[in-house]
Amino acid sequence: MSVVAPDRAVAPVAPAASQPFRPSLAGWLARGLAWAALACLVLILPLGRPGTDLRLYAIAACYAIVALSLNVLLGYVGQISLGHAAFVGIGAFTSAYLVTVQGQSFWVGVLAATAIGAGQALVLGGVSLRIRGLYFALITLSYGLVAEQNIFQIQEFTGGGAGQSAPKPAWFESEWRYYYLCLAFLALVLFVDWRMMRTKGGRALLALRENPRVASTFGINVRLATLFAFGVSGAFAGMAGALIAHGDESVSADVWNFRLSLFFVTMTVVGGLRSRVGLVIGGSFFALLPYLIEKIPGFEDLLARVPGPVDLTPEYATLIIGPLLLLINLIRFPGGIGQQTRPLQRWMTGHRFDPHDRGLKEVQITDVRA
Amino acid sequence: MSVLETRDVSIRFGGVQANRDVSIAIGQGEIVGVIGPNGAGKTTLFNMITGFYKPDTGRIIYRGRDITRLPVHARAALGLGRTFQNVGLVKGTTVRENLVTAQYLQADYRTISGMFGSRGSVASERRLRQKADALAEVLGLTELLDTQVAGLPYGTLKRVEIATVLATDPDVLLLDEPSSGMGPEEAHQLGDSLLELRNMFKLSIAMIEHHVPLVVRVCDYLYCLDFGQLLTHGRPNEVRNHPQVVAAYLGEDPDPLAVALEAQLNALVETE
Amino acid sequence: MSDVLQRRGLLIGVGSAILLVAVLWITDQEQSIVIGVVTGSAYGLVALGLVLIYKSSGVFNFAQGEFGSVAVCTLYLLHTSGVPYGVAVVGALVAGALFGFLTERIVIRPLFDAPRVIVLVATAGVALLAIAFQQWLFDNQGRPISRAFPTLDRVTVLRVQISDQRLWLIGTLVVLAVVLGLFFTRTNLGLAIIGASQEPTATELVGISVRRLSTFTWVLAALLGALAAVIAVPDTGSFTPGIMTSGYLIPAFTAAVLGGMTSLPGAFLGGVLIGIVQSVATNAEIFQDIPGTPSTLIVFLVLLAVLVVRPQGLLGRSA
Repeated sequence: MSVVAPDRAVAPVAPAASQPFRPSLAGWLARGLAWAALACLVLILPLGRPGTDLRLYAIAACYAIVALSLNVLLGYVGQISLGHAAFVGIGAFTSAYLVTVQGQSFWVGVLAATAIGAGQALVLGGVSLRIRGLYFALITLSYGLVAEQNIFQIQEFTGGGAGQSAPKPAWFESEWRYYYLCLAFLALVLFVDWRMMRTKGGRALLALRENPRVASTFGINVRLATLFAFGVSGAFAGMAGALIAHGDESVSADVWNFRLSLFFVTMTVVGGLRSRVGLVIGGSFFALLPYLIEKIPGFEDLLARVPGPVDLTPEYATLIIGPLLLLINLIRFPGGIGQQTRPLQRWMTGHRFDPHDRGLKEVQITDVRA
Repeated sequence: MSVLETRDVSIRFGGVQANRDVSIAIGQGEIVGVIGPNGAGKTTLFNMITGFYKPDTGRIIYRGRDITRLPVHARAALGLGRTFQNVGLVKGTTVRENLVTAQYLQADYRTISGMFGSRGSVASERRLRQKADALAEVLGLTELLDTQVAGLPYGTLKRVEIATVLATDPDVLLLDEPSSGMGPEEAHQLGDSLLELRNMFKLSIAMIEHHVPLVVRVCDYLYCLDFGQLLTHGRPNEVRNHPQVVAAYLGEDPDPLAVALEAQLNALVETE
Repeated sequence: MSDVLQRRGLLIGVGSAILLVAVLWITDQEQSIVIGVVTGSAYGLVALGLVLIYKSSGVFNFAQGEFGSVAVCTLYLLHTSGVPYGVAVVGALVAGALFGFLTERIVIRPLFDAPRVIVLVATAGVALLAIAFQQWLFDNQGRPISRAFPTLDRVTVLRVQISDQRLWLIGTLVVLAVVLGLFFTRTNLGLAIIGASQEPTATELVGISVRRLSTFTWVLAALLGALAAVIAVPDTGSFTPGIMTSGYLIPAFTAAVLGGMTSLPGAFLGGVLIGIVQSVATNAEIFQDIPGTPSTLIVFLVLLAVLVVRPQGLLGRSA
């Protein structure tokens, strides 16, 4: 029952496929092998590594959660937090404090960290939404400094110079078990993020990011929806903080600074906004970067040969490479890693391998002028 | 009693009185036309009705209820649907996604339960998609459901927009130049579609239009604005022959400042 | 109607300044006023640059501090290589302006149509890159740097010594605030810059190159940042890598928000107020119990308060 006469219906822009693409038997086998290899890489191979490496992999999984958290702000809503180190750090200290000083269980600690993360984001977001523009960036920048210079100076909370201890929970005391635990949390966050974007909450965010006026004619309360996203982002960040704290088994105040906040932003953007695969890769890659760099033979000597008054150590090099990658990404490769891996992604989920499918229609950073 | 009316609404931007004491009314099941030269304040009036601007004076009444202070999304919830001059859609996604997003108010599950994949949310989502498919069929868009909105031709975009606004389950439709960019045959088709849609969905419609034959054929009543004020109103055949209306369209040049200002302001509303 | 709001804002601002001064006088804190005005002048200068960029490019420029840091580093490098101080200052200003120019060309220009949040992140990236280079060049150590004008006690106000350097700082701020205010309201170029930010298409149609205007604005803002750094930092006797961002950027942003992100005189007023607030926060007894650095928290609370109570700031036009 069409109001428009059939001959008036416009022909579709793309030629309609007669049948959806189905891989051949060999294709299925290849895909199965790829999935198995991936599972092996993530689940099995790490078990052969020493405990210190496993701890690192666990932290990498947590960094992936942080990237997903920042993505909710930057990728879905179009806001930015320049103080995310504060959200994560406060989550870390909250859990450490509750477990060590207050004798609570790990699960209470994580829950509290998640709740407090959400709470901070909601309060700060609520203030910043009163005026149109990117004031959340300013507020979080200032808040990050407050966390650094005030909150983390509270001795009872942060344990002073020695930091606060944060023991691993029962059943997960060994490094490999904790690694699996972090993977489980990462899977949970991925699931929640995926479901959110497939339901009305996520659709509201995407609509209001591109066109808030039209979104409100759909009945979406733009301010409330934005606040909701802030809450989700803060919750993920707090959760990641708690997991990091117990992964390292101690938290100290001096790492949670502006540089770390920008680091988080870098790994999110380089990973690829709105691409879960890219974000996980970006987060874990950047977490592992300092250690990967050590493994490159001759890298240090190469750096030392760079002219300058002071030797270019790997530390200084990573300090410089980070923002450089960020800028290159923003200007030249807006889709990040996620955009580059998209053909592979599509292939692994049963579609044809199309090297030109960059998912550009999804990852348009140059959207409507905000 | 009218479904929607404005009572003496006025609004001023900087030095320009965009609307002055405009009163229009839409009766149940009516199709009302709002005509007038460019810069007459028609879109500004719609922006006030839908809540993007607050009038300086005057009131907006929906089914006897004063909605002048209500925010945009609350008016949408009451049943006010609206299309835009620049086509109000989420261009970065598919037609189906737009149709589903527009049903935001009919997704009867809590956002949180949706995030955890509850059975109720999954079922509700399925219903939303079914309704989206049904609406697409009504407007001949079935083959385009999975196409990105961004690449579609202008005329098609207008049809997608109508499907989308219908997805919001409106009671009153405010259409801003629905036939713009259409040739005479397409506009005729549009007229038929509007009449059928009005009957099918029990709508009351107000439309800003320039296309005189369309307006005369389809509208039950006309309001003519000029320089932000109501010039005259009445049945289409009376109004079209009214000497001042003819003069407004054919005679004087529209006030260029008003035209530019209105265009700028309304573009701000639509592209932000 | 917005003029009424602006006048009200000015009244609130001046009124609260007078109130603050009175309170400080009564509580024997009047030195804070003087110190506040001096440090506030530096914040005001940086804030001027922030407001300038915001008015023209619509973005918060997180690299504004580093325009200054680069200038200070250049001043140090030139001066310690034997270049006379005056020439070194000019060189420093040129370096700062150049950095601004490069930022605009390499980073801002390609992102002309990008969402403002992306440009914002890019400026933060630029800042961090500059800081990283400084950390490498100076091995993450501070360095001493001398004043231009050695006289330390030209004037003594309320038992606070005002050096020549500080007088120059305050004077520069006042002159620039007035000059820029006139520039943006009376000259064609100034009006064009404002117009270009709000209506780029119309500006192009009239024959003005929006891109050239953008470059000019960024270079001007960079110069302001460089000027602020070159006068203020030597007064403290030393500098560290990223000094302007760690020491001045957040108070400057708060000052700009307080004064109104769209108001140049507001940046001036806001700077002085924040300077006073910060000075009080550092010295007043009641704040000493706050863990860590009290002024950081107080400045943050001021930012929150402004956004909650009067989001458009004291002299801003509209929210």
